[in-house]
Amino acid sequence: MSAQTSMPPRRRKRSARVAVMVLGAGAFALAGCREEQVEAQAFPDLAACEAAAGSDPALTIEACRTSFEEAQALNVESAPRYDSLEVCEELHGDGACGSEAQATQGGSGSIWMPLLAGYLIGNMMGGRSGYAGAQPLYRTNDGKFTNAAGSSTFSSNRGAARMDASQFVRPSPTVNKPPMSRASALSRGGFGATGSSRAAFGG
Amino acid sequence: MERIDLAERPGWRDLAREQGFSFSEMHGEPYWDESSAYRFTLEEIETGIEDPATELHGMCREAVAKVLDSEELMTRLGIAPARMDLLRDSWQLGQPELYGRMDFAHDGQGPAKLLEYNADTPTSLYESAAFQWQWLEDQVAAGVLPEGADQFNGLHEALVARFGALFPPGTNLHFTAATDNAEDYATVEAMGYAAREAGLGAHYVDLGQVGVSAEGGFVDDEDRLMRVLFKLYPWEDLLQDEFAGHIAASGCLFLEPPWKAILSNKGILPVLWEMFEGHPNLLPAFFEADVAEALAGRGGPAAGAAARFERAETALRRGHVSKPIFSREGAGVIIREAGEIVEAAENGEYDAHPRIVQAYHPLPQFGGVRPVLGAWIVGEACVGLGLREDRSRITQDLSRFKPHYIED
Repeated sequence: MSAQTSMPPRRRKRSARVAVMVLGAGAFALAGCREEQVEAQAFPDLAACEAAAGSDPALTIEACRTSFEEAQALNVESAPRYDSLEVCEELHGDGACGSEAQATQGGSGSIWMPLLAGYLIGNMMGGRSGYAGAQPLYRTNDGKFTNAAGSSTFSSNRGAARMDASQFVRPSPTVNKPPMSRASALSRGGFGATGSSRAAFGG
Repeated sequence: MERIDLAERPGWRDLAREQGFSFSEMHGEPYWDESSAYRFTLEEIETGIEDPATELHGMCREAVAKVLDSEELMTRLGIAPARMDLLRDSWQLGQPELYGRMDFAHDGQGPAKLLEYNADTPTSLYESAAFQWQWLEDQVAAGVLPEGADQFNGLHEALVARFGALFPPGTNLHFTAATDNAEDYATVEAMGYAAREAGLGAHYVDLGQVGVSAEGGFVDDEDRLMRVLFKLYPWEDLLQDEFAGHIAASGCLFLEPPWKAILSNKGILPVLWEMFEGHPNLLPAFFEADVAEALAGRGGPAAGAAARFERAETALRRGHVSKPIFSREGAGVIIREAGEIVEAAENGEYDAHPRIVQAYHPLPQFGGVRPVLGAWIVGEACVGLGLREDRSRITQDLSRFKPHYIED
């Protein structure tokens, strides 16, 4: 063994490399980071799906039924639940809500849920952990459709599209949880007001 | 520590333009100024700045625990009773800190003195981590700086490593800022670049577009549920916004976490002084309410602070700085020497806030200007340095950013 000794190499105090940062351009563009896409179809009811299955080789009557059952189960488990008919109709439109007792056996007569207004089938989404093969759809107060989590809106409850796989993330259960009051329903713009007079926030 | 005149890179203005560094000039004045640079020895960096800043961050964590344990202290720091649990819970859950910047008065001699800790929304991240780094690389390549010159600037690498340690690859992060202010946005973008380099998804949403879903979660402008949100918007404002009550149950991890509201608060300075009185990197500091009468010669200090006040009285009477507990860019700061106001920042926006007083430790002068050292903390360690200099005694938002290098 040689007894060669050397000083440890001096620690470098700066980054070995730094990403080329072009401001106002690339930081949040998602090229290369797009979410996985899946083929999805929406139907207002089981009959519409079965009718389409006759002419679409990629869709079977069996798949329609399985998906519809899954959407119905998710509806019972995860539909938005409200503490009054007024709040429910405010968000989902007049006549678009019913009581939990109407939707499922043993449900409460004083909890209100939107009526199932269709379902979304995700191709190849069934059986994946944390995902559902189908999602229930509900009306919105402006004539569109939304999912159980209220996280997406769709212009129609009929048609086919490519969508982010995240559209099929299993919604959180709402059954046996306190229903939402007016205060907890969706709103925007609740951040930023306090500091809005300031030109910049950093320092 | 010296201020050295150096040749500017001939093409730096073009480079700034190409890279979107639009605020390299502001209000017709240069903001990025490489006509001179600060030179440090490695010893000055490591012993004078890096190690003390890391130690101070550890002390700050102890101070946070103390404040969160005391409703009285939280009240003195302006935390509303309704928000105390949010802050306490975020600490008890161990919600991680991402970054912060300590501002020091330091001339290379003696210990650096902590002026304040912007632990919540520090800016100048882009110019510190990226443009300054490029300056060093270019100046070494051009022979303006010697081959072995280095820079205290592991900021970008440390952020990438921190993001990578906190989140599994592929995690989606959201980033938000409240204004279209180019400086603020550049800091958010520099964060976004670091997150992406760590293999995470980075999405931007305007703060005003954030929504609350029926489930009580926060959603972005495309209704995507947000699990992690980096916000360049101060906690003291966030806590007063309409959605503040939704934060606790939102399932969204905020960066910085709510407990940073304690650290980015000037009220932490008297708490630190009480806990670590005499620490070489701290200046004597008090809640103004405890000592205002005594300093004005109208009465005595509050009982709990009396002994400490007595020990610091000579220094405070020589000169002290009054600062609102929440303020940015020097706003609302008043400097008094021997009882007379010698400088006051015009911005009175924070005048309604409670104040602290801190012994006045003037910024050193180098060639007629006064640098303030910004020591960057990522996670729990100091990883880099950025300097700004100003002609006035209070560093404000028209200061210039100055590059630095290490050469023994």
